[in-house]
Order: sequence, then structure tokens, then C-alpha cells
Amino acid sequence: MMRYFLRRLAHAFLLIFGVSILAFLFTTLAPGNYFDEMRLNPQIAPETVAALRAQYQLDRPLPERYASWVNSLIHGEMGFSFAYNSPVAPLLLARARNTLLLTVTATVLAWGIALPLGVWSAERLGRFPDRMITWGTAALLVIPDLALALGLLVLAVRTGWFPTGGMASVDFENFSFLHKLQDLGLHTVLPILALVLSALPLLVRHVRAAVAEVLGAPFLLAAQGHGISGRTLLYRYALPAAANPLISLLGFSIGALLSGSLLIEVVMSWPGLGPFLLEAILARDLYVVIGGVLFSTIFLVAGNFLADVLLYWADPRIRTESGSR
Amino acid sequence: MRIQRNVARWLVVLGVLHAIVACAGFFAPYDPAEQDRKSPYLPPMRLHVVDGQGQFHARPFVYAFRLREGTFDQYEEDAGQSYPLTFFVSGAGYRLLGFLPCRLHLFGAEDSRVYLLGTDGYGRDQWSRLLFGGQVSLLAGLLGAGITLSLGLSMGAAAGYYGGWRDDLLMRVAELFLALPWLYLLFGVRAFLPLAVRPLAAFFLIVAVIGAAGWARPARLVRAVVLSAKERDFVRAARGFGATDAYVLRRHILPEAGSVLLTQAAILVPQYVLAEMTLSFLGLGVPEPVASWGNLLSSLQQYSVLVSYWWMYLPALAMVPFFLGYLGLASSLQERGPAYKIERRGLGSLT
Amino acid sequence: MQLLIKAENLVKRYARRNRGGAQEELRALDGVSFEVFAGTTLAVVGESGSGKSTLALCLACLEEATSGSIWFGGKDICKIAEKERREIRPQIQLIFQDPANSLNPRWEAIGILTEPLILQGRISREEMKERAYSLLERVGLSAEIAERLPGELSGGQRQRLAIARALALEPKVLVLDEALSALDCSVQAQIANVLLELQSALGMTCVFITHDLGMAAHLADEIVVMGGGRIVEQGRVEEVLREPREQITRRLVAAVPRLARAPMAPIGR
Repeated sequence: MMRYFLRRLAHAFLLIFGVSILAFLFTTLAPGNYFDEMRLNPQIAPETVAALRAQYQLDRPLPERYASWVNSLIHGEMGFSFAYNSPVAPLLLARARNTLLLTVTATVLAWGIALPLGVWSAERLGRFPDRMITWGTAALLVIPDLALALGLLVLAVRTGWFPTGGMASVDFENFSFLHKLQDLGLHTVLPILALVLSALPLLVRHVRAAVAEVLGAPFLLAAQGHGISGRTLLYRYALPAAANPLISLLGFSIGALLSGSLLIEVVMSWPGLGPFLLEAILARDLYVVIGGVLFSTIFLVAGNFLADVLLYWADPRIRTESGSR
Repeated sequence: MRIQRNVARWLVVLGVLHAIVACAGFFAPYDPAEQDRKSPYLPPMRLHVVDGQGQFHARPFVYAFRLREGTFDQYEEDAGQSYPLTFFVSGAGYRLLGFLPCRLHLFGAEDSRVYLLGTDGYGRDQWSRLLFGGQVSLLAGLLGAGITLSLGLSMGAAAGYYGGWRDDLLMRVAELFLALPWLYLLFGVRAFLPLAVRPLAAFFLIVAVIGAAGWARPARLVRAVVLSAKERDFVRAARGFGATDAYVLRRHILPEAGSVLLTQAAILVPQYVLAEMTLSFLGLGVPEPVASWGNLLSSLQQYSVLVSYWWMYLPALAMVPFFLGYLGLASSLQERGPAYKIERRGLGSLT
Repeated sequence: MQLLIKAENLVKRYARRNRGGAQEELRALDGVSFEVFAGTTLAVVGESGSGKSTLALCLACLEEATSGSIWFGGKDICKIAEKERREIRPQIQLIFQDPANSLNPRWEAIGILTEPLILQGRISREEMKERAYSLLERVGLSAEIAERLPGELSGGQRQRLAIARALALEPKVLVLDEALSALDCSVQAQIANVLLELQSALGMTCVFITHDLGMAAHLADEIVVMGGGRIVEQGRVEEVLREPREQITRRLVAAVPRLARAPMAPIGR
């Protein structure tokens, strides 16, 4: 069992390593860099620009830059941001925390709604409640994320019920603790709503499909024949069998915790990883971009890894196949 | 090829929608770049058939707008000036389907301009921009999907059919591609380019990157299909008649992949259109003055626009009938196919 | 009688990982030798996993044996190059167990029938169609079947179609790999009759692989009993069935339903 773990872990690390190289390649090979803007400015002497570039090692060959980047990674810094004049890691972490506040809540909510809804729908397959759910999810699916986010924003503006973006009101500092909590909560409502609404339809459909497939299976019929029914049938016989595709889906959800909310954060001015990276990209802040890409990849790979581990634990078939290796 | 009835129905719907956009010049009354500086941010004009006196007119008409007293950007209808619509008018020149010079437009108004969806800050007709913008966005989606599927097909078929080291290598590379957060890299590649990139170059670049990024998932699906088709007895039987590898691939295996690819296309095209919209919205896609559904929305990033000019939001919904069509197509294609493949739409799919 | 096929010491090994984790070698065929004479039917019987299907594939040139020889038409077909093999294959045709699998479900019957003709590319389109219709007739299918998809046909009709297709190139040998096993009992009897008719009308040489001894007795002259990749018993079918010597054979004989063990119908000649 450990061997399976270790293999998957090693695999994950290799993947992250590979991605880091690719990201490095992509971003450094692309023409243009942070100091191009400066170069265009006639007030800054070319020697200054050159000196700055040398200071940030932009002149060195690629492998050397990669090596020193990895070195800074080990020291917990992940390179240096030109725009903020500070190591990248703390910047990313602060922003990531804000993003996770949104995405974790939204993911938990979405799954919390999708699972019961999907199961309920699958139990009544083909009948009116199920058809309603199918139509409802279809209606949500055809609205693009962008339209959803913008639409919610327009709603906020017109009704004034919710703040129109940002994470905190202007005099946040002066609020009492409770008031701060309430203020934060209000600011999170729209982004979380947007995230949940965009994730929900597919989740519901997948849960429904997975459970429906199991509900039609002969082994379940056999169990019913033995007199097992109702809750027991559902929770101890049907759902575990439907778990596989759902666990993979969960892996995806976890993997997207950092990267899936980029658009919504930008639209709603939420100070998360998304807008930060966008800004860095536009400013060509090299190491911030690479760090951000790497961060998201780590989550993606971690999500898959978690799904693999969960599958291993949940599905005995995988255990016997590989445990005996 | 026998097409099921449901599939055919959705194809017709999509065909009509795409045809309308393709003939944007005809359905749009004005040139999308034409500015009317005297009428910035006009709200949509309503079509009336009954006038102030209660009389019914067979031809719909619109009222002119006049500024409301005391405001500088609030308009109201001026019941005194009505302009009937005319149909099949001759107006600004355009090229039908890109090459036929034409001047015919479906509708217009005499002596006045009719703004079905209002105007933007430069006084440009939003309806016209919507239609022409659709050409750009839809084309991006279709081309991108074409690239992805061609790549996916060739890689997946090669991996599945020949197996061995080719297969292993391909699967490793595919895994790498699937793990990359492509959205960020996409942004990065686009943004790191010289600032002054011509719209056409920007367009093709985005299409190329979006298309090339997503080959991994279709490739895996094609590979699975090829692997299972390879073992089918009718392939063995064909070998028994003296078939070569090429024949078997062409006549037996690839048609199996065809249905997978079609389903993938129905899923990918809207995803890619959305990706283009997002990029353009954020300023990283097709630049002004060329219209695309994305950059039509970018003005909404300003708070003032969001508050006062609600009709600027409408292009966001332009995609909805197309999404519906593609969703319907994908559903009807999957009816007899394998159960749901895990797909993530929108931006997530690129990560 | 003319010797058509001579198999000598056929061995087929697969490498696989078993549950214990080690690399294990699976010997599907472990030194198999037999002879097939022109115009006769050889039955190859055995339980599941005894290597019968592997033998079928090797005979039809669709799999390569690890070692050993199969002599056919003066050549050892195990050792010749792929190009030559492609020319030999039409002469030994394989009929598979499950026609749902061996017929492309997207193709109409006429396309399925003409595929071998197109591949060999020697006659004109009209001739091909004529040949296809006469093949349908030969296996007892009506001409209107030509437009149908396999999914629209019954199991028996599908298998007849598969047989018709196999006959298209006028092969010297027909190898039937459990060709009746997937069919209902009564349908089995019908198809068996089709085969018998082919044997008598065309003087077809057949290798009939099955686990059903009753069928084997009904259709074959000689019999070969396989177990664990080896031949455990062989001889004329009446003799082997009357006095089975090996355990395996006895088990197979015992498995035949009593009704069929009453006077065996002689092989219709």
C-alpha cells in the first residue's frame, strides 16, 4: 500500500517539476520583460536599466536562472517580484488565502447541494422532479461564467443589497469585530454565489448520472430481493458503488481551488490570486507569474493525487490489483 | 452516415444561428466601427406598433431620443418624432461571407438611426457590433476546436494503434499538458508579446494557443476508442481478408473515433468561445476597434458604466442561444454513447 | 487424401503480470501437432482456457506462434514475411464466436460482404454485388438482408452473414472458433446444418473449435482434445467418443446432454 502511495507521490513531484520547467521556458522565452517599459522611458538612462537587469540576473543563461530560481524555491522565496520589490512567496500566499476563502466555501456549498440533489434526481429518474432538475441545470449551464458574474454585479448595483466588489468596505479598520465579520460576509456573498452557480449544474449532472447508473444495476436489485431497502440500500449499497467517478470529480474540484475563480475575482475585484497574477502578467513580473503558475499546478496535481488516494481507499478493486504488485 | 433525428434537429438550430452571424452584414443595419459621437450611450430603442393616439401601424417604428431635462446622459422617447422602419435597405457596404461586396441590409430607418441594443461610449450601434463580434468569437471557437481535435485525433490514434513507447511517451506528455494551468500560460504568452500587435495576429495567436493547449483530453478519448476498436473481431476479420494497417485505421477504427470527436467538438466550441470572450474582456484578446463578444463587455469593468448603462450587459447573453444549441447537440450525441465523461466547461477546462 | 495443414509443435507464450506481482509466462499453446486433410472437418475440443482460440488465430495467420510450424500450401506460414502472410490469409478464413463483435455494426450487410472482395480488388463492382447476393443465398439468407445493419438481424442471421463473408474469397480452409456457442440451441442446429451443407456442396475443409462435444460429433470426422495448451487425445471422432481415454475427454463426454448421446447421426456425405 505504501508503495502505491510513494509511486503516486513521486509521479506527482515529477509532474510539478516538469511543469515548472515548461512554465519557465514559456515565460522567459517570450519576448519582452519587465524592464521594457523602463527602456521606453527617455528619462531613465540605459545604463540604469542595464544595471537593474543585471541585478535581477536577466542577462544570465536560462539554465542558470532556473537553477537559482529552484534555489530560492528551497529557501521558501520562489523568486523575486520586480514590481513589489519583495520575494514572491509571501505575496502569493497572502493572495492565495483570499482566494481559498472563496473557493473552499463555494466548493463545499456546491457539493453540499449537488450530492443530495443529484441523488434525489437519480432516484426519480425520468419523472417530473428529475426533468425539472435537468432543465434547471441546463438553464444554468448555458449562461456563460462571464455573463453570470457580470449579471450578479449588475444586480448588486441596481438593488444595493450587496457591495459591488472588493473584499472590505472603506472603513473596515474601524469596525467592531462582529461588524467586520458581517462586512466580510456580505462581500463574499456575490462571488461565492457566482462560483456555486457556475459549478453546480455540471456537478449535479454528474452525480445524477453516476447514481442513476448504479440504481439500475442488477446487484442492487438482488439486494432489494434480500429485503434490504430504503436508506440502507442507498447509503450502504448504492452510493459506495457510485463513488468512483465522483471521487475523480472531487479531485478536479480540489485541483481547481486556486485557478477556477480567476474570472470571478477579476470581475468582482476580489483581492485574490487571480487579479494579482493578471496584474503581474500585464506588468511582465516574471517570477510572480511563474510562481503563480506553479502554485496552481501544485493544487491541480495535489487534487489528482488526493483523488487517487481516496480511490485507493474506497475501491477494493484497485487495492487488489496493485497491492499484490 | 445516418444521423439521428435529435442530432439533426440541433444541427439545424445551430446552423441557423451560425448563418445569421455569418451574414452579419445583412442583419446589422450599420457598420460596427461607425461612430456617432452625438449619441453616446443611447439606451435600446423600443419598437412600437401602436402610436400615441392609439393607432396601429403595420410597420414598426421607433421614437427619437431626447435628453431628459437636467441630465446629461438620461434619455427619453420623444413621442413627437417617429421613424418607421424600412426593410431591405441599401446602406453601408460590407462583404457578405467575407468576399461578396454587398449593400443590402435587412432593416433600417429613414432619416434616423435605429439602435436595437443601444450604443456604446463612441456611439457605435451595439446590435451591429454584436453580430460582427459574433463572427470573431465564433470563428475563434470553431478554429480552435478544429486545431485541438486534429491534434488530438492524430496523437490519440497513433498512441492507441501503435502502442509501445509511442503510447507511453504520448500519455506522459498529455498528462503534463493536462496539469498545466493553461489559462495563465495563455495570458502569459499573450501578454508577453509586443504591445502593438495587430488584431489579426492577436486573433490567430489566441486561437492557436487555445487550440494547441487542449489536445490532451480528446487525445486520451480517441486513444481509448482506438484501443478498444483495435481488439474488435471485425478488425481481425478485415486483416484476414488481407487488409493493411492503413485500411483498418481508415475504414474501421477512425469512424469509431468520429463520434467521440463530434461530441468533443460540441463541448469544446462553446468552451473556446468563452475563453476568447474572457481574454478579450480582460484586454488580452482581440483588441479594439475590432468587435468581439468579449471586448464588447470590457467597458463594464468601469463602475459608472455598470451603474448607468445596463444595456451594455446584453452582449453577455448573446452566447446563450449558441450554448443551448451546442449543449443540445452534445446531449443528443451522447444519448447512445458512453456515460458522461468528466468535462469542465469555461475556464476550468483549460487548466 | 491430400494433407492440407500440418501443425508441428506449436508453442505460443504470452508474458503477463499475475496477481503475485511477478512476470509470468502464459503458455497458451504448449507443443501442439496435428494434421488436417482436405475435405474433412477436424474438431478441436477442450474446456475454456485450453488454448483453442489461440490455435484458431495462429491457423488463420492472425497471430504469430512463438515457435513451431504450420505447413500450408508448401510453406511454413509461421515463418514467412508479413507481405506473404497477407496473401495467405484469404485462404484460411476465420469465423468468430460472436457475430455482434465480428461484424462492423455501422456497416450494412452488403458492405460487410463485399469488403473482402474490395480488399482483394480483382473483380468489378457489379460482379461484387452479384457475388454478394449469391453468397447470401448460399447461407440461406434472403436478398433483402443486404440493406440491413447487423443490429437489425437476429443472432442466427448474423452468424450466417459472417459465414457468407468468410466464403467470399473462396478459402481453402474455414476455421470456426466457437462459432455456434453464442447462439440459442435451436439456432445452433440451423447453422450446423448450413455448415454441413457447405461441407457436402463445396467439399470445404473445416477446423471446428468448440467445447460442445455433441456438436463436434455431429459435424466432424477427426477430433483433437486439448487441455492446458497440449493435445491430450486425438483420433477419429466415433472412436474417441466411444472410448475416451483421458480424464478431460471423459468429462467432456459426460457433459453432453443424454439426448444427444443416443445414436449419433452419421456425418452426412
